[in-house]
Parts: sequence; C-alpha cells; structure tokens
Amino acid sequence: MITIVSGLPRSGTSLMMQMLAVGGMSILSDGERQADVDNPRGYFEWERIKRLPKEPGCVAEAEGKVVKVISQLLLALPGGHEYRVIFMQRPLAEVLLSQEQMLRRRGTFDPAVDTSTLVKGFQNHLYEINTWLNSKPNLKVMRVHYHRVLNEPKAIAEKLTQFLELPLDLEAMVRQVDETLYRQRGK
Amino acid sequence: MFGSHKVKIEGELLDKAKQCAEACGYESVDEFVLHMLEKEIKKVLPSDEGSAPSKEVVKKRLQGLGYIE
Repeated sequence: MITIVSGLPRSGTSLMMQMLAVGGMSILSDGERQADVDNPRGYFEWERIKRLPKEPGCVAEAEGKVVKVISQLLLALPGGHEYRVIFMQRPLAEVLLSQEQMLRRRGTFDPAVDTSTLVKGFQNHLYEINTWLNSKPNLKVMRVHYHRVLNEPKAIAEKLTQFLELPLDLEAMVRQVDETLYRQRGK
Repeated sequence: MFGSHKVKIEGELLDKAKQCAEACGYESVDEFVLHMLEKEIKKVLPSDEGSAPSKEVVKKRLQGLGYIE
C-alpha cells in the first residue's frame, strides 16, 4: 500500500504531510527542498517524484510510506500498486493567490499570464484529475478540505485514521495544526 | 433522450431567485435558474475552447513553482 498526499500546490499538502509525520507515518522525503517563508515547517517532498512520468517505477520506493505527489503527476502513477490518496482541496482563488506570492519570492512570476486563462486551465485540470481518481479501482480517495483541517483538526485526524486504518497519534496531529494556526495568526 | 430532473426551490432562496429574475429581465424563475446553471456548468466542466493555451499556462506555473520538470 502506498499512501499519497496530493492536490494543487498551495492547497495544504505540506500541512497534511506534517500531520501524518507527527501522527506516526513513515514519510518518503529527501529534505532537498528546504523550509522557507512559504513553508516554514518544510515541504516533506521527494525530488525524484518529479521524474514519475519518465520513471514510473520509482514510486515503488514509497511502498508502506506516505509521499507527496502533486496533482499533475498523479496521472503518471503506474498500475500494480494499491494507493490511498488524500486529496487536498482549497478554494481555487486562494490557491492561485498563494502560488503567486510563492512565484514572486522565487522570482518566477510572469505578470503577462492572463488570469482567466489560468483559472480555466486549473478548473479543467481539476476536472481531469477528479475524473481520473474516480476511475481507478486500485485507488481509494479521501478528499480533505484545507479549511476543515484548520477549523476541525480533531475530526479530520479521526477520519484520517479510519481511512488509513492506522493507529495514528491524534493529539500530536491536532497539535501540529494548532501550532500552524498560531504561527499564521502571529504574522 | 437526456431525460429530465426537477429541483424544488422554496423559502428565502425562491424569493431571492424571483427578485433576481425580475431585476435581470428573465421571463421566469425557471429561465433564470437554467441560465445560471448553464453558466456554472461552463465553469466546472472542461471545454475545448482555449484548452491548449490554458493547459500550457498551468504547466508553466507548476514548473515555475518547482513541482514538475
């Protein structure tokens, strides 16, 4: 069984990875992408997953673990494994705004991009991904709304333990969200 | 045949829908609701219109964020 945390970039995937890590799950991450102002607690990413379209076999390393796979790369997941996907959802306007802030900090923001084209592109992308997720018999999906994680961390943590069928440390998971909220409010 | 489906609208939502239909010049609440539904469906379901450039824009953004090669 491979557990995947997915969603659009800036939809709360790193927060979910943090929760699962403190909850006791084994994380597949290389720490290459260092914590920064966009994700002060780190990204919990595995750089090699970017090569999934060219090297689909690399996902076998995540067997028994949890790995972050951005939504675009889900389509490249090979058959032959059982997957549990935690798919993060957040209002698109918030996601795009957060992405823009991150792009500006990285120096890769392109002001010439037409916003309506971008919105349409991501709406089409989400439709494609959700259709794909619903069509795979070897894949179970739990959709998690980012704001529900922030507002009802205990309820979400409990649902996660049921979905993953693992005895996760609920208190630690809730504490992780509380500390994130505390940090956000302190800004 | 595509069949048909009825939706019951009542209470405050119906009142507001009537107000909107009148304010916007629709002949009935039905016409207003159908138009709104068509607009929302266009937003959610993928359309071929401009899909190539929008796909490219998404790809470039994800590359800019460092999530894909």
